[in-house]
Formats: sequence, structure tokens, C-alpha cells
Amino acid sequence: MTRTPLRPLARILSARAAGENPNVIERENIRKRHEEMHDKMRQRAEGRLFLLGLFFFCAFVVVGGRMGALATSEPTEPRASAPGATISAARADIVDRDGRLLATNFETHALYAQPPHMVDPEAAAEKLVQIFPELKPERLIKDFTGTRKFVWIKRKISPEQMQAVHEIGDPGLLFGPRDMRLYPNGRLASHILGGASFGKEGVSAAEVIGVAGVEKQFDDYLLDPANGNRPLKLALDLPVQAAAERVLYGGMRLMNAKGATAILMDVRTGEVVSLVSLPDFDPNNRPRPLTRGDQSESPLFNRAVQGVYELGSTFKIFTAAQAIDLGIVNRNTVIDIRGPLQWGRFRIRDFRNYGKELTVENIIVKSSNIGTARLAQRIGTPRQQDFLRDLGFFKPTEFEILEASSGNPLLPRNWSELSTMTISYGHGLSASPMHLATAYAAIANGGYMVKPTILRQSGPRMGKRVLSEHSARVARQMLRKVVANGTASMGEVTGYSVGGKTGTADKPMPRGGYYEDKVIATFASIFPAHDPQYVLVVTLDEPVETSGDEPRRTAGWTAVPVAAEMIKRIAPLLGVRPGVEPAIRADITPASSN
Amino acid sequence: MSYLEYTVKHVPTGPRKVLYLNWPLALLLAAVACIGFLMLYSVAGGTMDRWANRQMMIFSLGLVSMFVVAFVPIWFWRSVAGVAYIVSILLLLGVEFAGEVRKGAQRWIELGSFRLQPSELMKVTLIMALAAYYDWISPKKASRPLWVILPVIMILVPVYMVLRQPDLGTSILLLAVGGGLMFLAGVHWGYFTAVIASGTGLVLAVFQSRGTAWQLLQDYQYRRIDTFLDPSSDPLGAGYHITQSTIALGSGGWTGRGFMQGTQSRLNFLPEKQTDFIFTTLAEEFGFIGGVSLLLLYTLIILFCVTSAIANRDRFSSLLILGIALNFFLYFAVNMSMVMGLAPVVGVPLPLVSYGGSAMLVLMLAFGLVQSAHVHRPR
Repeated sequence: MTRTPLRPLARILSARAAGENPNVIERENIRKRHEEMHDKMRQRAEGRLFLLGLFFFCAFVVVGGRMGALATSEPTEPRASAPGATISAARADIVDRDGRLLATNFETHALYAQPPHMVDPEAAAEKLVQIFPELKPERLIKDFTGTRKFVWIKRKISPEQMQAVHEIGDPGLLFGPRDMRLYPNGRLASHILGGASFGKEGVSAAEVIGVAGVEKQFDDYLLDPANGNRPLKLALDLPVQAAAERVLYGGMRLMNAKGATAILMDVRTGEVVSLVSLPDFDPNNRPRPLTRGDQSESPLFNRAVQGVYELGSTFKIFTAAQAIDLGIVNRNTVIDIRGPLQWGRFRIRDFRNYGKELTVENIIVKSSNIGTARLAQRIGTPRQQDFLRDLGFFKPTEFEILEASSGNPLLPRNWSELSTMTISYGHGLSASPMHLATAYAAIANGGYMVKPTILRQSGPRMGKRVLSEHSARVARQMLRKVVANGTASMGEVTGYSVGGKTGTADKPMPRGGYYEDKVIATFASIFPAHDPQYVLVVTLDEPVETSGDEPRRTAGWTAVPVAAEMIKRIAPLLGVRPGVEPAIRADITPASSN
Repeated sequence: MSYLEYTVKHVPTGPRKVLYLNWPLALLLAAVACIGFLMLYSVAGGTMDRWANRQMMIFSLGLVSMFVVAFVPIWFWRSVAGVAYIVSILLLLGVEFAGEVRKGAQRWIELGSFRLQPSELMKVTLIMALAAYYDWISPKKASRPLWVILPVIMILVPVYMVLRQPDLGTSILLLAVGGGLMFLAGVHWGYFTAVIASGTGLVLAVFQSRGTAWQLLQDYQYRRIDTFLDPSSDPLGAGYHITQSTIALGSGGWTGRGFMQGTQSRLNFLPEKQTDFIFTTLAEEFGFIGGVSLLLLYTLIILFCVTSAIANRDRFSSLLILGIALNFFLYFAVNMSMVMGLAPVVGVPLPLVSYGGSAMLVLMLAFGLVQSAHVHRPR
């Protein structure tokens, strides 16, 4: 490296001759040399920075590329299970309340290969493709001739296929036993059962783990060898479930609804004897979850517990029952129902004009929004909240299937007096049909809360009292009147004295506001009304009944007839004896005039 | 005395410093943190109470500390670099003796109600100390063996201590950040090639030693490497995380399932879904587009740091900024590759998004240093 001297003699001499200070020249040269050095360092640093930048870039490309590759990959349903220690293939059966089989195991085989032991990998691959046309020959040959010592070929094969593979006769093709979950009833009770898939897999066994429903919820119980393979006994009644599904399916088609759900609950034990959600699926071949759009459109979606809807006028009975319970009114108290009821910018209207005034009983029978809102005003927000909380409307139900925990009720963010009024007739608070059934069970059993359960119970399990015996009885009589001569007249089933309340709520639009022509129609019923044993909630999603001149959507025309048909079919199966309804005692019949 | 102090008179003073902050960088940090709040809200199943609120509190605290650090002149930070480094080492020692054992690792120290993770602090103080060191010695000496040994010791001491906790992820990050900084400071090529060569040798030794009496790693560490190499070998055991997260990423597709629609948040499929594996939820709910957008935000943060470093004529400042940018990059690159099954599962959070106090706070302090270097740069 040649360096310019700091004090070049020639320049210094000439400077001296000119009488200048030679130190200036030295300083200038020092500065130049510094700058040179600085530049060189910079260049070097920037070179290294460039290299590092290249590395950054590569990392971005790899990460981004991988993300793209994953984004295009086929989604599968996530399996939830904690890592366990050993593989246990035993899984207990699931049976209904009378011991009928709902889920059991079935032995199949898995096919795998040990390429080092294979005699003629290419011929074997070719023959395998003839047996299983979905396999790719190139892929198989690559796996068999590569360095891998173990290759899975098929997870489940039929006995015929197994025989065909035996006939290939290659010692490197081997079978491992696989217990498979089988649901002999197909689609029946699919949302309750959920489904199962393989968990931890070994060569000689595979763990069957639940992915949804009861199978997931009671996974630990079903897999626990300590339970000695005793079956899990559900409260479900298979014949009732089959009849309910049949009727609901027909009703859904007839009413042009896109979905439907029905819950049948024992009012004293909280046992869910039947639960249907349509559309349904076959748990033997569980469909993939939707990757786009609304999950509630998926057949996997359990409308009975996951779907939260504004349940409309079915709520009115809670308002009336509470008002009576608090002693604010009795069934004959006359309420001013002149409308529309103006509240700020909001107007409460009735479906029809029912005149100037109605008794509390007739408010329920005719389903007057204004009358119910007036009652709610007298009850007041805090007391209404307490009551609805007691009835379980503030948190997900404790129903024991995995999906129930995601059925979170939607409460108004700011519970104003207006909210109190609209909630009194079932708008502004969304809850699942399971919530509704549980709350109706409390009215039906004389005022006690029950916990909805899917497990067979040995006796009544009534919890906290939320209504007095008297108010519950009055509420039941009002429900009976709704069917006998009110909005649910089509719900009459001779001999079973059905009581119930209809509810028709406009569906909310995703971006706020309500659809004009899409409703959720609900009929919450109890039977027999004088001594209720069961609650039946039927909900139809977007029903339209088109037999008349103009389309009819109200629950009275849609959900009620479906529920009536269902009661007609299932009441005999449940062993409810038809009978003559005892006359309502004279002291509590409505006075003829006041 | 560095070049910086001769030109102090041009540096803004007092409240006027606010105008000279690197605002785009601060906004980018806030944007990423907001994505974090959104994801924590979603993962908690639609409530703020579980994680999002606390995370917002910590982020606000971090933002304030970032500004405080930014207002203090960078030469002050250089002069305390050595002390900060030694304090961090002492804290690491403290963990060794008085730390709290959580999830099988001893990483935390209780400081009143606040739990400190000294290994997080160590990353920043190591960067500070190395930058100060290379500012102090003349660039000509940087490659001389004697002057190389000192920084190597400075790096290896904390690496060893963190490794003992045991926290393989953080120790590898410390090693990478330290090495990267030495590389940027201009240490000769030869050293790096030598280290990489012997490192490869060591890895081979580690694998050879498996199952023998002189086994070099813990069993769980071997298992993690195994699962990394073939996640499907044990889909419900150690490979569970990776299998689940790749499934979730796959189900997100290009545009995702939509906010709050992820299965990970609705059903509890993934442990640690709010910390190290939060990216899964993002990718599931917002798909490829969401994931790449986050990657883009991170890239922009790095770019702003690097341009600020190149424009800075002070050696300490530019090395410091680059070191912090490198650290930040390693965080998210390692986290994302881990989630996507490109790297073994090591506990590295997604910076600014994952739930966690220590990491977030330290990161904001580090960006405070970047801001300080930016404000007080020689002009």
C-alpha cells in the first residue's frame, strides 16, 4: 500500500519558500487520511450490512413461502387432546337411557409397510394401487425405495381389502389392529354424540379420542380403564329422539326453514330426553368444519346450545310470572295497552291493536308487547336482572357437551330502562333454546331451577326456588290458555293439554338492524299443563308457511303445528297418559267482568 | 470520547426533542401492539379481562418508558453500558439462587408484584455493552485475537447462565445477536467461518452422544429436535403444538375465517395460545393476508431501524440500533418459523403481540434506546 507522506518534502519546501506554515499541510493530510479510513470502514460495514440484509430477505421469503404453502393446504379439523402417556384402544360404549347402543367400537385394520423387508417394492406398489385406486403409484414407489423404514399406507381398511393385500404376499406389508368408533344409528343424535377420531397412533393400536359433543366432553371417562368399560348412560331416549328428528325434519321442509332445533327436557330432573338440531351430519363421517363464512351455517353447528337468538314473546311469561310473584299484579289486573308506547325515539307496538286495556292474563294470551313492557316498567331493571340471572340467562348453560360452553347469551351492553322493556318481551337479549327450555322447566315444575343434563339421573334434582308455587301455577294456567284460545291454538293436542308460548323474532342483520322477512319462530311448550312432566322447545330458523294467500312467518303458524305434531308422536312413547284436564278451580278463574 | 460529543451543540435539547423522535417507528410499534390486543381479545374468547387489558397496561407503561429512555442522551446510555451489563449478569446470578421455578424452568425473579425475567434484559444490555466496546476500541484492533476474546467472553458468560436455567431458545438468541453484532463491527471473516465449522462439529457430536453416557443435552431437548425433524412422528405428544398450529394455519387459507372465528380461540386446542403460539390465531382468523401483513409491519420496523443506523455517524449509536434490530428480527423470525414448523419449538414470543410483561417492556426500552440514538445523532 502506498501512502502519501504526511509531510511531503517538496510541498513543505515550497511552502516554506512562500512563507506559509507547513503544519497546515500536515493537518490537511491527516484529515484526508482519516476520511479515507472512515470511508473504507463504512464500505466494509455496508458490505456486511448488505450480507445480513440478504440473510433477512431469505428468512422473509422462507417464512412467507411457508405461510403461503400452509394457506393453500387442505384444512382438517383440529383435534383436542392433551398428550397422554400410553395408547389405550379401549373406549367405553355410549348407551341411551334404556341401554340401547348409541356408540360402540368396531375392529378394523390399518395398513403399513416396512420397506427394508419388502421383496419387490415396485410390484407391491402397483398391486396396492389396484386395491386402493386413490393412492399414487409414484409416491408409493418413492416411499418404498427410499431410506424410510416405516410408511403408513391406509389408516382404515375393510376385510376385503385386507384379504387382497394378503394376496400380494409381500412380507413388508403389515397390518395393525385399529379400533374404530361406530355410531350404529347414523345421523340420529349426531349433535349429542359429536364424533371421534384417532388420537395417538402406534403400530399395534390407536387411541380413539372424541372431537365434539359427549364424546369430547366425557373423553376422560370413556378412555379411563378404571371404569371397566362400563358404558356411559345418557338421558337420551332413542325412539323419542328418532320420532322427534323425523317430525322436525318434516316440519322444517314443510315450513321452508333453513334450520330447526328441538329440545325435550324432563322438568324435574333436567334430563334432556331428546335434542335435535338440523341440518345434522353423520358422526361416522364427520364433515370438515367450514373454512369460510358463518360457522352457524355448518351442519356441525348445534343450534340448540350454540345458537343464540332473540327468543321473542316466549319471554313474556317470565315478565308476567315475576310481576305476579312480586305481588305487583294478579292475573286479573287490568293494564293500559294503548299504543304505540313511545320511549325516547323508540316505539313499542303490538302485532295487532288489542284495544285500550287487557288483563295480565290476556296480555299473555294475546301476546301484547305494550302490556308486557308496562309490567316490566313496574318490575324495574334491577329486579328483572336478578330474575333473569336466576333463570340462567346470564351465562352459558351447564349442559354437558363441549359446544354448550360457547353458547354465551348476548346481553345489552347498557341495560337501560328501554332494554328492560324490550327484554320483557324477548328482544335485546339473545339466548340459546337450551336456556329457554331450562327456564320453562322452572315454571313447569313449580318454581325450581334445574340443571340441564345429558346424563341419566336417578331422581329429581331440583335446585334453587325462583318462583313461588302459586305464581308458577298461575303462569302454567296462562300458558295453557295461550294454546286453548290464544296465539298457539294450533298447538292443541287432544288429551295432552299442551300449554306454551309462541315467539317470533326478526333476525338481526350482521351489520345491525333487523330483516323484515327473516324470523326465528319459537314455541316453548309444557305438557300436560296441569301437571307438567316435559318441556318441549321447538325453534325454526327462517320459516315461511306458504299455504295461505300471503306468506306467514309467525310462530303460531310455523313452530306451533310442528311442536303439536311432535307431542302427538312422542307423548305415547314417553308414557304420558292422555287424560281429561281437570277444570281450573273456581276461586282462581278470571272474574267475568271488572 | 466518541465523535459524538464534539458535535453536541447541534443536538436538539429540551422538549424540542419530541419533534426529532423517529415517529414512524413509534407508530409502527403501536400498530403491531394493537394487532396484539386484538388477538388477545379474540383468543380469550371475546373478553378483555383475561389478557388484553393487562397487555394494554404494560404496553402503555412500555411506551412511556420508551419516551423517557429516548429523552436521555445516548452518550449517557453508552457510559452506563458496562454497568448495565454487569447488573444484568448479577440478576441472572440472582435467578440461579433465588429464582422461581415455573413450567420446569427457573427464569423469573420476584420484584414486588412484578416478575422480572433477567434473560430478557440481558439481550439489551449485551447489545449495549458490545456496541460500547466496539466504539471504545479502534476499528483497527477489532480483528486482533486478544481484542476478539473479550467480547466472546462477554457473550458466552450470559449464554452459559441462561442455558443453565434452562432456556435453550434465549441462549441461542443471545449467541446469535452477539455474533451478529461482532460481524457488523467488522471482525475478520476467519473467526466466523471457524466458529461455524466448529459449531457444525459440535452439533454432530451432540447427535452422536445421544443415548451414551456422555449425552450432551437433556432428553426433552432431543425430543424437541426429533419432533422438529418429523412432527408427525408424535402428533399428540411433543409434536402436538406444531401439528395443531400448522392445521390452524392451513384452515385459515388465504383470507382467514374472520375475526373471532378461529377454532383455537373458541375451543382450547393449543396450550400457550396467548403467548408463543398467538401467531396461529392470527393466521387462522386473518389467513395468509393477515400473516403477511404482520410480517410486512415487522419488516418496516426493521427497515426504519436500519436506515436510522446507516444515517447515524456515531459508531456506538449505529451498532446499538443494528443490534436491537437484529434482536427484534430474530425474535419474530424464530417465532414464526417455529409456529410454522420450520424450526424446533423454543420459547420465543412473537414480539409486541404475545402476551407477556417482561419481553414487551424490555423491547420497548430497547426501542427507547433506538429513539435516543436517533434524536441525539450527530448532525
